[in-house]
Amino acid sequence: MELLDAKTLSRLAGARLRARALMEGVLSGLHKSPHQGQSVEFAEHKEYAPGDELRHLDWKAYGKFDRYYVKRFEHETNLRGYLLVDASGSMGFSSHALSKLEVAKALAGALAYLLVRQQDAAGLAVMTGGQVAELPARAAAGHLNALFSRLEPLAPAGGADLVAAADLLAERAGNRSFVAVFSDLLDERGEGLKRVLQLRARKHDVAVFHLVDPAELSFPYDDPTLFLSMEGDGRLEVNPREIRESFLEEFNAFLEATRRACAEADVGYERVLTDAPLDPVLLRFIAGRTRRRGQR
Amino acid sequence: MTFAHPWMLLGTLAALIPLLVHLFDRRRPRPVPFAALSFVLRSQRRTASRLKLRRLLVYLLRTLLLLVIPLALARPEWAAEAAAGTQGRGPAATAIVVDGSLSMRYADGKPLFERALARARDVLARLSPEEPATVMVCTREAAAPPPAAFDRARLRTLLDDGKASYGASELNRCLEQALRALDDSPLPARRLVVVSDFTQGALRLEAPAPTWKDTAGHVLRPEFQLEDVARGVKLANRAVVDLKVAPAVQVGPRAFQFTFTVRNFSDAPAKDVQATLKLADTVVTKGFLDLPAQGTAQKTLTWNFPEGGSFTGEVALAPDALAEDDRRPFTLEVPRELHALVVNGQPNPTRYRDEAFFVDAALTAQGSPVREALRDVDAAFREDLSAYDEVFLLNVPAPPPEAAERLQQFVERGGGLFISVGDQVDPDAWNAALGALLPRPMRVVRTAATREEQGAESRAERLAQYDDRHPLLSPFLGEAREGLLSARFYKYLLLEAAGPGEVQVLANYRDGAPALVAARKGKGRVLLFTSTADRDWSDFAIRTSFLPLMHRAAAWLAGSLDEREALRGRVGEVLTLSPEAAQNAAAVASPSGATVPAQRQENGAVLLGPFTEPGLHAVLNAAGKPVPVVLEGSESDLSRPTDAQLAAWFGEASVKAAAAAAGPSRVPLWTWLLVSASLAFFLEGLLLRK
Repeated sequence: MELLDAKTLSRLAGARLRARALMEGVLSGLHKSPHQGQSVEFAEHKEYAPGDELRHLDWKAYGKFDRYYVKRFEHETNLRGYLLVDASGSMGFSSHALSKLEVAKALAGALAYLLVRQQDAAGLAVMTGGQVAELPARAAAGHLNALFSRLEPLAPAGGADLVAAADLLAERAGNRSFVAVFSDLLDERGEGLKRVLQLRARKHDVAVFHLVDPAELSFPYDDPTLFLSMEGDGRLEVNPREIRESFLEEFNAFLEATRRACAEADVGYERVLTDAPLDPVLLRFIAGRTRRRGQR
Repeated sequence: MTFAHPWMLLGTLAALIPLLVHLFDRRRPRPVPFAALSFVLRSQRRTASRLKLRRLLVYLLRTLLLLVIPLALARPEWAAEAAAGTQGRGPAATAIVVDGSLSMRYADGKPLFERALARARDVLARLSPEEPATVMVCTREAAAPPPAAFDRARLRTLLDDGKASYGASELNRCLEQALRALDDSPLPARRLVVVSDFTQGALRLEAPAPTWKDTAGHVLRPEFQLEDVARGVKLANRAVVDLKVAPAVQVGPRAFQFTFTVRNFSDAPAKDVQATLKLADTVVTKGFLDLPAQGTAQKTLTWNFPEGGSFTGEVALAPDALAEDDRRPFTLEVPRELHALVVNGQPNPTRYRDEAFFVDAALTAQGSPVREALRDVDAAFREDLSAYDEVFLLNVPAPPPEAAERLQQFVERGGGLFISVGDQVDPDAWNAALGALLPRPMRVVRTAATREEQGAESRAERLAQYDDRHPLLSPFLGEAREGLLSARFYKYLLLEAAGPGEVQVLANYRDGAPALVAARKGKGRVLLFTSTADRDWSDFAIRTSFLPLMHRAAAWLAGSLDEREALRGRVGEVLTLSPEAAQNAAAVASPSGATVPAQRQENGAVLLGPFTEPGLHAVLNAAGKPVPVVLEGSESDLSRPTDAQLAAWFGEASVKAAAAAAGPSRVPLWTWLLVSASLAFFLEGLLLRK
């Protein structure tokens, strides 16, 4: 697992390599998981015929109808996964080895691998420079190349229009799609998260990967500093020592509010620290998602 | 407000540092791209007003801190308007008399004299323009003040030039002179402002207070305004009041013990006061002594000088507020090693009958600086005399011409010659052989009594008088006198009435015949003792005075004992130097370089002084040794007369006004300033932590 911490990943050049390494790490973790084999779901009942698996007998149906029915399952071949990656200027912030965007790309790539490996369709939407670019979801293995060729050259620029991206996905994604959002959610308008959460209301399975740099949690600046905006021309000269307490208070409140909003909207929420190992994040996410699906 | 260290106020400029840092600190902040800028902005907006207030408070506290610390170090005191009681009594011709005595050098932070000058300037500034005024800094040497006038600048210059002396001030005389200086004023009132510490020695209260006569001939007392710079407090002091230097033979031939007396003039005892002995600014030994309250203590420090010669130094106590009287200078002649040739004119196998037995025992006694060579007559006259400082001829027959010639040359070149007589001495042969060297020609032997006869002891001759001012015989004072006068002389040699050159008869028998005669011949000295140096003609050799006299004789003959040894002065004293002493010490400079006045009298004597400074005074010609000048003891006593005594002299109103002015009107502010500085420091830390 230690191989997959941020420092190790930073040594691997390119999002594809990082995503693959991450995915392999996650898979090796999945093999140990007690939830192995849960990638099929119930489809219909069929009257029992000799040769059918006895373990699939539906004893409840037998109780009701006094006939033998076996449960039939089908693979999730029709799952469409959309990976929404924020590539705005603020995602370029890095106080450690990897920037938020690089972490987002690694996570998104790994999920794409997982989706395609399960023969699900994986699509990509990128928010950069105030625009949203989309790559439609495909399940073909060759689609991964197209996906990575979009992910790989992504560079942070401009603002992120989360609202437009959510609207686009609402329009393009079919029913019960899986939407994973990789963003720092530092949306000037503050409407983006709301619109993303509304996707849940349309029966989409939504997960938010909230990318946070450790410097945003500790604000480790002492001398008078000129802070420069990463998405515009804004600049601000302050004495960090004087406002540290207030900043941390504000930022933690923002993190908490985001987490609570996701929980209330039944949206999966993962806070991703850019200096922490990433595979536990994915494993935790997959386990949580499986649990939620079991509950539904 | 007054400041004990006003130069510290320069430090208050440091209070500008926070402002200058604020104005000129244009350090470029480090640019940092930051993602969550909106949160920074929000935080700044939220805290802006609070931060602004905090910054202002921190700035104010830092400024306060940097302002208050140098202010506190300057030791400010709040002085209420002093002597309010004497103000507003109408215009008066005013004389300000500042006490310039030694006690005003007392410095508890700032010398009293400096405070007195500041006070005098204050008084001068408060005078109304129609009041004529004069100023006098009162020392023993001070001249009368100028007549009262309106030229304040001149009076301020007089104050600026004023210096405290090292002696008493004779304030009575100064007040008289100051009052006389107001005589020409047409104003009907006279005011004397006395700025002093009012110690016991400042005023002679038994003398009447000065008075003046108005135009109608009425005798009036002037109005006194007392400015007490000691603020009514009795000042503590200790002083070295006496120093005695004596040889410490038990320690070594050149060891001396310095016994000094220290008096504690304060009401509190002092423990472990350090006392040091310095030789030419180098501390050679030190000790500690305890002083009872208002009492004295003696301390003896001993030092063994490695070699002979002239030494100067001082004994000193750890300095107190009046440091001038904590030390006492001295000069000391440490005997150098003397080489003496003792010629035994009548050897005897029985030791105590030997002519040289007693002289030999005396000169080789413990502590003697003499290195002696004992020879019989034949061997002695073959000796090379240049190896010796002095020759003792003890009952020696008249030397042959060649030996006499050599002896004469030896003396004229600076050697010393001691001659004692006896049966071997033929007066005529001696007169013929060494007549030029003898202080007086020898005449005949006189027998006062025959020892074997009954009652011989009472008939034997004794010494009647001797010259105790001569360095040879100066130790024989008091009880030591008896040791010299009790000696009996059965036989002695009579001398002719007069001889060539200058002769000093140092001791006489009761019949007036000389017993000890000294003379200078060329550069050398001759001492003639007219009896024997053993017990043949007298019992002097077994008297207690014999040994010290032989030591002194050996030293005097070699020039180690000197008339100048006794030359020491006291501040304010005029020394009368004999013509001989004046040759070596006519021009003397004080430690500060001022020449001490010297006045030659008709008889050749010189009046040297008065001395105005303590310490070692350098003698300006090469021959003289430094003259140590010590302080008058009276100025070390800083006790005060009672208020009643002062009131009887100055008037009750003046004393009460002075007491009121000296009392609570002076409030030390620096403690409060330090408290506020600490508070500012604490609050600043508190604000920075938040």
